[in-house]
Parts: sequence; structure tokens; C-alpha cells
Amino acid sequence: MKITPSLFDGYAPLRGTWDELFTARGDKRPSFSKAIDAIAARSGAEFAACQALAERALMNQGVTFSVYSDQRGTEKIFPFCLVPRMISAEDWAQLERGLAQRVAALELFLDDLYGDQAIFRDGTVPGDLVLASKSWFPKLRGVRPPGGVRIHIAGIDLVRGPDGVFRVLEDNLRTPSGVSYVLENRIISKRVLPECMDAGRVRPVDVYPSRLADALRSVSPVDPSETTAVVLTPGPYNSAYFEHSFLARTMGLELVQAEDLFVEGDMVYCRTTRGPRRVHVVYRRTDETFLDPRVFRPDSLLGVPGIMGAWAKGNVTLANAPGNGVADDKAVYPFVPDIVRYYLSEEPILEQLPTWVCARDEDRRFVLEHMAELVVKAVDEAGGYGMLMGPQASAAEVEEFRRRVAAEPRKYIAQRRLELSTCPTWVEGKGRVEARRVDLRPYVLNGREGPWVLPGGLTRVALVEGSYVVNSSQGGGSKDTWVLKSEAS
Amino acid sequence: MISRVADQCFWLGRYLERAESSARVLGVTRNLALDAGVNPRHAWLPVIIVSGEEERFLARFGAGAADEGERVQEYLTWDEENPCSIRRSLAAARDNARSIREVVSLEAWEALNALHLWVLSPRARAEWRDDRHSFYRRIRTSAQSLQGIVRGTMLHDDALHFIFLGVMLERAGQTSRILDVHHHAFRSIDAHDVIETALWLSLLRACSGFEPFMKLHRGRVSPDAVARFLVLEPLFPRSVRFSLRAAASRLERIRPPEEPALAGRESYERLRALAAWVGSKQRDFDTAGLHDLLTRVVDETSAIAGVLGRELFGQVPEVATGAQAQ
Repeated sequence: MKITPSLFDGYAPLRGTWDELFTARGDKRPSFSKAIDAIAARSGAEFAACQALAERALMNQGVTFSVYSDQRGTEKIFPFCLVPRMISAEDWAQLERGLAQRVAALELFLDDLYGDQAIFRDGTVPGDLVLASKSWFPKLRGVRPPGGVRIHIAGIDLVRGPDGVFRVLEDNLRTPSGVSYVLENRIISKRVLPECMDAGRVRPVDVYPSRLADALRSVSPVDPSETTAVVLTPGPYNSAYFEHSFLARTMGLELVQAEDLFVEGDMVYCRTTRGPRRVHVVYRRTDETFLDPRVFRPDSLLGVPGIMGAWAKGNVTLANAPGNGVADDKAVYPFVPDIVRYYLSEEPILEQLPTWVCARDEDRRFVLEHMAELVVKAVDEAGGYGMLMGPQASAAEVEEFRRRVAAEPRKYIAQRRLELSTCPTWVEGKGRVEARRVDLRPYVLNGREGPWVLPGGLTRVALVEGSYVVNSSQGGGSKDTWVLKSEAS
Repeated sequence: MISRVADQCFWLGRYLERAESSARVLGVTRNLALDAGVNPRHAWLPVIIVSGEEERFLARFGAGAADEGERVQEYLTWDEENPCSIRRSLAAARDNARSIREVVSLEAWEALNALHLWVLSPRARAEWRDDRHSFYRRIRTSAQSLQGIVRGTMLHDDALHFIFLGVMLERAGQTSRILDVHHHAFRSIDAHDVIETALWLSLLRACSGFEPFMKLHRGRVSPDAVARFLVLEPLFPRSVRFSLRAAASRLERIRPPEEPALAGRESYERLRALAAWVGSKQRDFDTAGLHDLLTRVVDETSAIAGVLGRELFGQVPEVATGAQAQ
């Protein structure tokens, strides 16, 4: 028997967690066997060289995000681990159906909220709780968006527990980001691990920009072939600016800033060197509260005065539609399974985490009593902020959260801490792979023809040993996500 | 194209040309100060004046500082507070390119980004310390090859025309300023012929004009011939006349004269008139009137940039855009 050192020698999954590539006994999962072998053919030293090559490529290409805290606009690469996360064809088929179902139901929910609000009448979802959301905009009620779509792009965060079941952690229906890293990470994998991609039979992700452009044009107020669509960015100092320019570039659309647009007679125009040009679809990456100083924050310099009026008149499509935030509010999340049943008369395909809603007396009592065992989240914060990790927190921190929850119960929900699944991850300092926790954000596009799920997604990884936090602002990185083709295809 | 994007293309071109020009002037002046036995003040003060930073520099470092070649080079290469320093010019060029990533070709962006990252790295400082000549040369050739990459990888549409409109207007202004300041300085010093010839040759080098000049003039250097060459030579790509004509022809492609309804009429007419006026000096060129001629070029190119801002870049008068404020 030939013995050569390979990358996964001595790799040990964490006890009590699901590992994406290996079984608890340390065997390769059969679906991924060929791809794992191809990667394992490299020694640690060879892999380190590949990893360094990948990082250099990302820096030189300017695949970076801006660091807000630094006045001088420092840019960093989003840390990238070359060991891919893999998903089998069977698992993916199930996820795909579940994601499409969930987005379809949330779309109907939003339409209902900004319309008749039928769902409140039979008590499926408590109206007072939903309408207390900071992201509920009563003044948008009655507006039907052009093309009838509100969630053009959704990013649904999934986690996988020790039982191997994927569960929804949260929905992102406003301006979900990260898809450019999915595509860039793939370019790097293809360059650095070509034979592994080949062995693994990986489904391509590079169709995303053209699918997105098609979806956007399909809901234009005018004929899709006559449509001018643009990407609206808050500007180059926004942390996701790279992604905004990336999407504009790969879709062949113009990237505009607020100052480039103006509204006249409820139509949106772009200032060009040849005079004003009508714009029909705006893929806006500006937060909705900054979108129109006449409707939302009057101090916004990132907004286009009058654009909401043009939208309400049906003269411009805004993607995603303003007002979606109420459906991805963390306090609404516990009701999504009921929402699916209510609108589609189907059982939800995707599971989600059991959640205590502190606005409900019984739940609040439980949360206050068991705080040290729970993860408590503020409903209106993202990026891993405003959160208590009970099991890891000090007594003082727990006490502080107890006070906050008692004072403003609507603001908080609680869940049990989930043992996130792990994936072998390159650890620079040790020169080998170790298990690190991961999550998954698949992307769903929604045009006139209904939802389409990108076969891939952003796998974020907590690079710090023992950490559960995958956010890039707090020591997280990303991995390429390989969805494998089914044996039949 | 989008007015802001046009503006940022234009400034990308200007900043790139500015960085290149500064690197060339600093490199040449350093050689001059080493070789020709020229009083350091006569070598370095003009450099500060050309950059337009005389007032700020003297206020900060005192009148004596203009003698100190190192101080001047440091200020014009690295200074964070000097908006014309090479470092700031490259950062501004790169910021503009970053704001229009979907317009600039990937190869051009990567080359500019790599140059910017290099300038910020300790390696650049080390090269500056150990091999100044090579440092300036690297800035110059990187900026030049960038222009080549832009030409060789981007669609030759309005975006590219705006970049080179910026390059050429900046170049017309730079050549004019360099010539004006040196011409003035040379006449005010009481130098003997050898030194004066060295000064004029260094001026030619500062404009990359030494070899082209020698080809056309077979080694006969006179102040008149050099000045005439830098202003009027139609075949020399850095002469004032060549640069203005090239700028006008870019603008002509952006806004064809046969479509008079398009925005940009005043910019185009003034630019064409200026180029024609400079060309007409062919008949009665006289170094006595050189200062007036160059002053008019500098003032008018900067006025035309303002009109471009109003007509094509969608600027409200008197409100500087981010790109210009940088």
C-alpha cells in the first residue's frame, strides 16, 4: 500500500456536530469521494502554495470590501478558504424546492400585507406584532409594484444541525449581498483546483448575472427589450461596492449613484453626456430608508428625490421592492411556516429553528428564566451584532440582556444555540486543515416566471477556532460551495 | 454615457498624466542638480512653481526649503497633504477607476491597482531610498503602459475618449507650465552658455523631448528652437499644439460637430479655437511673447475643463464634485 501524506490525514470532525465532507468516524461521505480524493492528492505544503496564490489573486483583482471603521477607506479581501464545501445532488434538490416554496409564500405574504391584510383576519399571524416592525411602512400600503414582484433577489441563510438537516436561520429580502464572492470564489477554484472541479462534477454558477438581468427586465414597466436597467450603489465607500460594480459589469448594465438619477413627471432619468435618458428598472443596493429623502430620511444624500412616487405610479421597477423588510423581521420569522401553509396550502419543505418570541408573555417568561442557555437576538440588527450567546456569555452580560428584554420585549427573540455543521478548513498558522463551523446562503431570483435558485451559494466559515460567528466583520471568511450534479445527468 | 462616469474617466486620465509628468520632472531635475553645477535653487524652485504648490510649500517649510532637493522631492512624491503629490495623484486616479470599475477594463484596473498598492508598500519606499532613478522611471513607465493597456483592452467608445481628453488637456497644461517656468528662470539667471545649454537640454528631457528634438534639429540647441519645438512641433506627442489637437479630436468623437444639438458645443468650440490659435503661431513665433502665449494656454485649458464640467459632466457651477476635490 502506497503511503503519501495527504491534506486530510488526521482530520478529525468535532464531536457532536455534522461535518459536511466526513462522517463522524472520519470516512469520506460517499457522494463526495471523488472530489475529496482529488483535493487530498495535495500535501499540506502544496496546498499552502495554492491558498497563497488564491489570496494574491483576490487582492490584485481588488475583490475587497471596505472597512467602515477606517477613515482612509482601507480595503481588505474577504478571507477565503480554498477547501470547498460540497452539497450532494439529493440534498440540493430538496433545498431547491424548499427555497422556491419559501420565497413564493413570502412574496404572497408581502402582497397581502401591503394590500388587504387577509392573513390577520383569521389570526394565522398576529397583526399587532407584524405591524410593530420597524420595517413596516404604512404609507406604501396599496402600491402594487410594476411586474407584480417584490422579492426579486432573496438570500436565505441556512444552517445544518448535528442531525444533518438544513434549517432556515433567517431570510434576507431587502438587499442581500455576497453573491459576487460566490462567483469570484468559483473563478479562483477553477484556476487553482481545476482537476478537482472536474472530478467532482460541480454545477456551474456563472449563469447568475444573466439570469438576474433577465429577471429584472421581465418585470420592467415597458417591453423587456426596450428596457434600460441600472444598478444603483451608495458609492465606492460602501462596504459592498465591489459587488455592486461586479454585478453591473457582469450584467452589462450601468452602475449609477444617486446623483446620476433624477425624477421628472414621475419618470426616472439618468444624466448622460447626451442629455437625460429614461430608466425603467433600478436594481438598488441602497438601503430603502435612504432611497428617497421625500419619503424616508430627509437627511439622506444617497437618495433620489421623487423615486418612490415614480415607483408608486408604476413607471419604474425597484428591485427589491421597498417595504420588504417587514417580512424578514426576526420577530416575523417564527410565523413563516404558518405563512407557507396559509398561502400555499402546503406543508413547509424547509425546517427552521424553534424560536421564542419575547413579545408573547409565555415565551418571554421562558426566555428570562433560561437566558444563559439561549441565543438572544435583537430583531432589527444584523451582522452578528446585538446578540447574546448565552452559553458563552458572562453573568454580567446575561444580566444586561435580561434587563433589555424586560424593557423592550418586541425587540427580541431567542433560540437554542445550534451546533453549526463544520467543514475542513485551511488553518494558515498550523499548515493543515481543521474543522470550522459554516453556514450557507443560497440565492433565489424571482421574475415573472417565478423563483429560480442558483445551484451554489455563499458558504461562510468561522475561521477562529471554536467560534460560531461567521460574519466577515467578526473573523469570518468564505468558501466556494460545490453543488454536485446528480449521477443521472 | 452617464455624466458622472464621463467626469471620472476624464479625471482618471488627468491624474494619471499628472503623476507621470511629476515623476519625469523630478527625475530630470535631480539629474540636473547633480550634473550641471547649477545652483540648487535654480533647479528646484521651478519644480515647485510648476506643480502650483509654491505658496503652500514655502509657507510650510520656509523660503530656504526650495534649495533642498530632498525636501522638494519628498513633498512632491509622498506628501499626504499635497494634492499634487505622486502618491495622491495615483490614489486619486485609482479612486476614480474604482468608482467606474464597470467601465474600465479588468486589465487596466488590475494594472492601476497594482501600481497603487506598490506605491503604498515598503518596497516603494525602499526603492525611493536606494535607487531614486529607478523609482521615478517605474512610475513613468507604469503610467505610460497603463495608457497603452487602456487603449489596447477597452472599447474605443466615449469612456476611452473621455480618458484621453483628460490626458491630453492635462498634458497641454503641463508642457506649457514646465516651459513657462523654466524659460522665465533661465532668463533671470546670469549663466554662461554651457550651463544654459544644459538647462535647456534638461527641459527637453523633462518633456521626453530630448531624442525627438535631436532627430529634427541635428544637435543644434538654441533656446528659440527648444521653445518652438515644445509649443509647436506637430509630430511631437507632448507639444502643446499636438496635445490640444488630440484633445479636440477626442471631443469631436464624443460630440460629432454634425450633431449640433448635443451638449458640449461651447467646450468643443473653445478647444478647437485654442488649438487653431496655437497652430497659427507657426508663422510669427517669438520667444518674447512666449509667456503670454503659455499663460493663455494654461488659463484657457482650465476654463475649458470648467465648461466641460457644466456641459457634459452634469456639474452645477461652483460645486466641485468629489472627483475634482480629491
